[in-house]
Amino acid sequence: MNVTEAAEKTSGTLVAGLAFAGREIQGGYASDLLSDVMANSREADIWVTMQKHVNIVAVAQLNGLAAIVLVNERQPEPDTIAKAEENGIPIISTPLQAFDVIGILFGLGIHGRRPV
Amino acid sequence: MFLVDTHIHTCLSPCAELDMHPAALVDAAVRAGLDSIAVCDHNSAENVGAVQRAGNAAGLEVIPGMEITSSEEVHILGLLPDVEAAMALQSKVYRSLPGRNDESTFGMQVIANEFAEVLGFNEHLLAGATTLNVEAVVAAIHAVDGLAVASHVDREGFGIIGQLGFIPPTLPLDAIEVSQRMPLHSARASFAPKGEHPILCASDAHEPKDVARAATYILMERATLPELRRALAGEGGRTILGGGRPMEDLALHILDIAQNSLEAGAGTIEIEITENLRENLLTIVVRDNGRGMDPETVAKVTDPFFTTRTTRRVGMGLPLLGAAAKAAGGTLTIDSKPEQGTCIRATFQHGHLDRAPLGDIETTLMVLLAGQPERNICFRHRVEDREFELDSRDFRAADIDLASPAGLAVLREAIRRGEAGLVKNKASNG
Repeated sequence: MNVTEAAEKTSGTLVAGLAFAGREIQGGYASDLLSDVMANSREADIWVTMQKHVNIVAVAQLNGLAAIVLVNERQPEPDTIAKAEENGIPIISTPLQAFDVIGILFGLGIHGRRPV
Repeated sequence: MFLVDTHIHTCLSPCAELDMHPAALVDAAVRAGLDSIAVCDHNSAENVGAVQRAGNAAGLEVIPGMEITSSEEVHILGLLPDVEAAMALQSKVYRSLPGRNDESTFGMQVIANEFAEVLGFNEHLLAGATTLNVEAVVAAIHAVDGLAVASHVDREGFGIIGQLGFIPPTLPLDAIEVSQRMPLHSARASFAPKGEHPILCASDAHEPKDVARAATYILMERATLPELRRALAGEGGRTILGGGRPMEDLALHILDIAQNSLEAGAGTIEIEITENLRENLLTIVVRDNGRGMDPETVAKVTDPFFTTRTTRRVGMGLPLLGAAAKAAGGTLTIDSKPEQGTCIRATFQHGHLDRAPLGDIETTLMVLLAGQPERNICFRHRVEDREFELDSRDFRAADIDLASPAGLAVLREAIRRGEAGLVKNKASNG
């Protein structure tokens, strides 16, 4: 599944990094502690979170994540969008809550993976 | 030189104990030997005035403050110039703080006066997060001329590094704070290896027994916010000397004993720390040529209720150092002769589970030498066959003025180099 498909399936909108939405998703991770995401997410994961601070882009880039999903209708801050465009990180915003987003993606074969 | 705990909650914080009313926490701070505190409740400053009045009555400087929760659930302290600034910041925070408190879930939010009387209850959801992101919180603090400090950066939950992965490089913080969970030298290595941020040690006390569990030694002229600002910036001879856990770190016990020696009029003080890993032995010796004690006084100084001090009390004093030694399978001996001097020797099993941590030696030496450029202070730290020796006479002989900022910087660098050499040795010995 690629990022565009993930956005469609989770009723989400791509709010940044449109040009990179063809990227393939290999797995998933969910957490609102960025230190935890840095430690435990894996390359090509889709990351589900409430956090919208600009630091999320750096974390996604550091671990080579496929995309970030902001739940509960949260919109990224302006500098977060700017950084995401600059670094090629797609961000999806969805009205769904994290539990439902993860459930949908899991049902479509995107699973959590053991940390490297 | 001031000992300051910049992060103390009152009974207004829903998670704090009811006995953290203004008079009680001021009393705890005075008994712990603090010169100044900052009172920082979650998202509110309604008890700041009462704590200040209680502090005025007890001779304790109280800096107004607030611990604001950002939208990312990062805790940021605002240390503020006065109550008016605190009220202005509080209005801004209240406008950005949704929800109402549920006492049965989060606890009571008691507004109290300095006479331990309840004036009312705050109804905002002080345990909640504001809608302000970290940048907006820091900007709001700076807008009222306050100092912005990232709270307990060593904590995963609500600490800026736990929540945001790293400190945003463009965030204009004035300092970062570490709690009693982490010794200062580890905090320096982890969070500010190149001196990126000044570090404050603070207790984050929610009950009286935790006041001063961690505190910072600051060289400044008065314990006020403008002075603290200059100390954090290292301006005008003001500086952060160090910090730690006065009730726990052996380094701060050593400082306490050495300060006793200074008060006993000692011209020369020798401090020796010997870590013999093969024999599992840690020995601390403090020897002075002060006025000494007669046998009766020696018997009394290990009594927890005895003190010759009328002013500050830092560290746990001899009775509790004795208890710390005993807990780690060691002993405390005092050898003292009137008009000749005193030698205090504490031993510990080095690897004992209950052996208190050594703590930050840099703080001990900075506070001792910065305060007393004219006394002879000789420090020796041995780890196995390695040794670090530092003598204040060498600095004087080299015309280095330990009362000047440049002199203090040279001293700090010498201590760091010396102690780092010992750590390397420790590691290579496994």
